[in-house]
Amino acid sequence: MSTPSTTPLTAGTRRLIPLNHAMPWIVAAICLIILPYVFDSRSALTIMNQMAITIVFALSYNMLLGQGGMLSFGHAVYMGLGGFFCMHLLNMVEYDGLWLPLPLLPLFGGLFGLLFALIIGTFSTRRAGTVFAMISLGVGELIAACSIIIVVFFGGEEGVSGDRTMGPEVFGWDFGAQSQVYYLTAGWLLIAALGMYLYSRTPIGRIANAVRDNEERAEFLGYSQRHVRWISFCASGFFAGIAGALFAINFEILTEENLNLATSGSILLITFLGGVGFFVGPIIGAIVFTLLQTVLSLYTEIWSLYLGILFVATVMFFPGGLAGLLAMHVLPWKLGKLGHLIAPYAKMFLPAIAFVLSSAAVLEILFHRRHASVGDHEMTLYGITFDSHHLLPLIAALALAAVSFWALVKMAPALKEAWDEATHMDAPGAGGAS
Amino acid sequence: MTAAIELRQLSKSFGLAKIIQDVNLGIAKGERHAIIGPNGAGKSTLFNLITGKYLPTTGSVHLHGVDVSGKKPYEINRMGLSRSFQITNIFHNMTVFENVRCGLMWSMGYKYSFWHMVNRQHDLTEKADEILEQINLTSRRNMVAGALAYAEQRALEIGITIAGGADIVMLDEPCAGMSHSETDYIVDLIRKVTEGKTLVIVEHDMGVIFDLADKISVLVYGEIIESDTPEAVRASKAVQEAYLGTTLEDA
Repeated sequence: MSTPSTTPLTAGTRRLIPLNHAMPWIVAAICLIILPYVFDSRSALTIMNQMAITIVFALSYNMLLGQGGMLSFGHAVYMGLGGFFCMHLLNMVEYDGLWLPLPLLPLFGGLFGLLFALIIGTFSTRRAGTVFAMISLGVGELIAACSIIIVVFFGGEEGVSGDRTMGPEVFGWDFGAQSQVYYLTAGWLLIAALGMYLYSRTPIGRIANAVRDNEERAEFLGYSQRHVRWISFCASGFFAGIAGALFAINFEILTEENLNLATSGSILLITFLGGVGFFVGPIIGAIVFTLLQTVLSLYTEIWSLYLGILFVATVMFFPGGLAGLLAMHVLPWKLGKLGHLIAPYAKMFLPAIAFVLSSAAVLEILFHRRHASVGDHEMTLYGITFDSHHLLPLIAALALAAVSFWALVKMAPALKEAWDEATHMDAPGAGGAS
Repeated sequence: MTAAIELRQLSKSFGLAKIIQDVNLGIAKGERHAIIGPNGAGKSTLFNLITGKYLPTTGSVHLHGVDVSGKKPYEINRMGLSRSFQITNIFHNMTVFENVRCGLMWSMGYKYSFWHMVNRQHDLTEKADEILEQINLTSRRNMVAGALAYAEQRALEIGITIAGGADIVMLDEPCAGMSHSETDYIVDLIRKVTEGKTLVIVEHDMGVIFDLADKISVLVYGEIIESDTPEAVRASKAVQEAYLGTTLEDA
């Protein structure tokens, strides 16, 4: 019998669930306030803003996919339309003297998103599953096509641009400075995330889960599955619209790209990468995705290939996403056996890093050989400069990848054993978490 | 007095196959009514017609005198009719407590509310715990429903069904696949939780039927050939010929 004695499940719970439910939100708020002092460069602020927008968008998407069981291929429509309407509102502020303080703009973005979700939801939420997915795809394509045809509203290929600083000043802020925009975005991120979290704890939020799991049963309990889906869909559209408004404020331009299928597809991937089964999943997904997208793209041209590999690996090996991966460790933690895992993890750390870096090196060398300009044979990788057309570096990278992979495979049984030990319950008790 | 459930000339066909043919049946308020019949007689179809899952081909279904044919399951449920399923139909990923709470929310007026926090609604929590107590699952309160033993899942199914306080309860083979002791337990449970309510039950276990029912209807090939008290049904020549044979003497 190891550590926390006879009742391992209750022993850990006290530490796991904070005394005050507000605690995580207060911590998040404090982090958001001090982040710009830690990362104070202009580009860092831009990245953080983009992260915040993606988080709101991904959370709103997960209201459909994770909580309502609706797989949408056209969620960018609601963010995009919210953004376009906000852009026009900004232009009305600039040219027609409309009085609208900038911090209130996301509310209107949300209302526009809600309006379109309300209309489109009347027919798209009739059925779940494949029918819903196909309709969302069709509507997504329809609106994307409209955005090129209806030039007056969508601005054609140039899109619609505006100036966020033309509205009335709020407490002396005109939102010209990036840091002011950051605080506006962070504030709305907090409001929207809290709103979506609380929504999931309301009767409609709970019954959305019920309809997702078993729509027939929910019908026989007095709930119309269609109305439940429709309401979830509208709420999701509202928060997507907020994300659209934040996008408009940050980038001061919206184009067709904001509501096309590629954007809809990437938000699905982001949400899935983070984990659809957890509220924090989309948040993690959005942060990781934005970091990879912005930081990785500074170093390599084939960053999207790496993202693709990451997505495929997540779907294949960790269907619960990154949040699911973290949640897997809750049981060992509750049992007080997390220590069992440290040794195998530490042992595998070096080969894993070596495997990732060397496989990336193989891809980079191949890419350089094929795509660098003619005569450019010199490439620098991890601080080493070499001739990419020479075979030696390629063979070295391949060999390292093979050796590190072999080492990982050799270590896998030990990890499995440690894992079984760490998740094994000593005391007889109720079923485990999955 | 109007009947709790009244079926008038009810028929249902799937393509050319007539599953239910001209069924007329009245079930009085407070009655415990059992529907029996051989496999494929149309018992489940009849259930699905009454609860709104299927539309009648012809004829009509009346609840407390109101025509409900063509209404959706959720509308019929809101009129005070609740059902369980032959194949366990619960929310497997939710906790036992949450399952019961889902059964309660509509009837307690929370409906599609997005301005209440469910965990803060003490009336909801108290009522759900009361029902858990009734179905003896208090000790399983925070377990995931999918992890329950089969008999417990069946008890939970009944719990969800009666949670909303419906005055007509319809149970589709509540004892299917159960051992003797489990069956006894479920029958006691059914008796307890349907006190004073109208009960319609489909069941294969004759012991259960004769134990519970005030009245029995015998459905054979989509037609009701007998609808009477257990004693009369037991004595009926037609029933014995059509379906029960000698098993009744053993029961």
